Amino acid sequence: MHRDRVDCLEVLADDWLDKPPRAPRRLAAEIPTSLHGVGLGLASACPVDENRLARVAWLINAVEPETWSEHFAFVRAGGIEIGHLAAPPRTIATIEGFTRNLHRARVAVGSMPLMENVATLMRPPGELSEAVWIRDALLSGGASMLLDLHNLYANAANFDYDPLDFLAAIPLERVRQMHLAGGRMWRSRLLDDHQHDVPDPVYALLTEVAARVQHPLTVIIERDGNFPTIEHLLSEVSRAREALARGRAR
Amino acid sequence: MSDERLEVFLARLLVDEKARARFLANPRSVAEEFGLDSDLFGEVDRLGLELAAESCAAKRVRRSQRTVRT
Repeated sequence: MHRDRVDCLEVLADDWLDKPPRAPRRLAAEIPTSLHGVGLGLASACPVDENRLARVAWLINAVEPETWSEHFAFVRAGGIEIGHLAAPPRTIATIEGFTRNLHRARVAVGSMPLMENVATLMRPPGELSEAVWIRDALLSGGASMLLDLHNLYANAANFDYDPLDFLAAIPLERVRQMHLAGGRMWRSRLLDDHQHDVPDPVYALLTEVAARVQHPLTVIIERDGNFPTIEHLLSEVSRAREALARGRAR
Repeated sequence: MSDERLEVFLARLLVDEKARARFLANPRSVAEEFGLDSDLFGEVDRLGLELAAESCAAKRVRRSQRTVRT
């Protein structure tokens, strides 16, 4: 497992909702593991699907991960399954709905998920900016954050804002984990496809966050396909460690 | 309630090609038909909506094909 070079793992929760989670349970016993969910759709004015939430709670109790996480996204509405993470309307109502759903999740599971910012190809409707929506949602729900730096990088590129302004606007003291990933250009938009190397500007953002906060940060590299060799992936882990150290030294 | 309706509307645009084409042809009136404030869609991100819909469709296909060894 290259245990000497890997400190933690992340397991996609939704792959294990309908089968005995023996493998993730074994992993969680050996190495700090986070269960990462994509299907609850907590960031919604609609109530979370209670049956799905109960299955997520069952899985978390069975696996006993160090942390669990979900997304600032909605995934279904009015009986329509979108099949992917959709950025919610950036309104007060979706912040209020998220806060109610987060409370339901905390009650069902016994702990709160870390909440991740999502990449979006479409600018969602609403009166709030992405940073203000996320800031207010975190503060309203009392949640901690999984800051995905490639999602931030992609949204900043696609919607023409400075990612450093975003970092200045959100409560960085609530960031506990970070995701790094890579993507590709797709018809003039940057697609967060998790199938490419982490680009240099994302490492630079990691350095920036590490320079701005002092508390421990867990960094996870996401790769969903187009897999390189394990040595190549481990070299990206090393680059992440170096980027983090540069920030800490500033 | 209106924000729940807005999410339903967005979900439909992301999964239903005909609804999406109809909306893109006349965003304001289609939004109003759905009981939404048409100002929400003053500047429609046409490319973003099309790409997001295509990306969601690809994800749905990949998810349906995914198998996990236990």
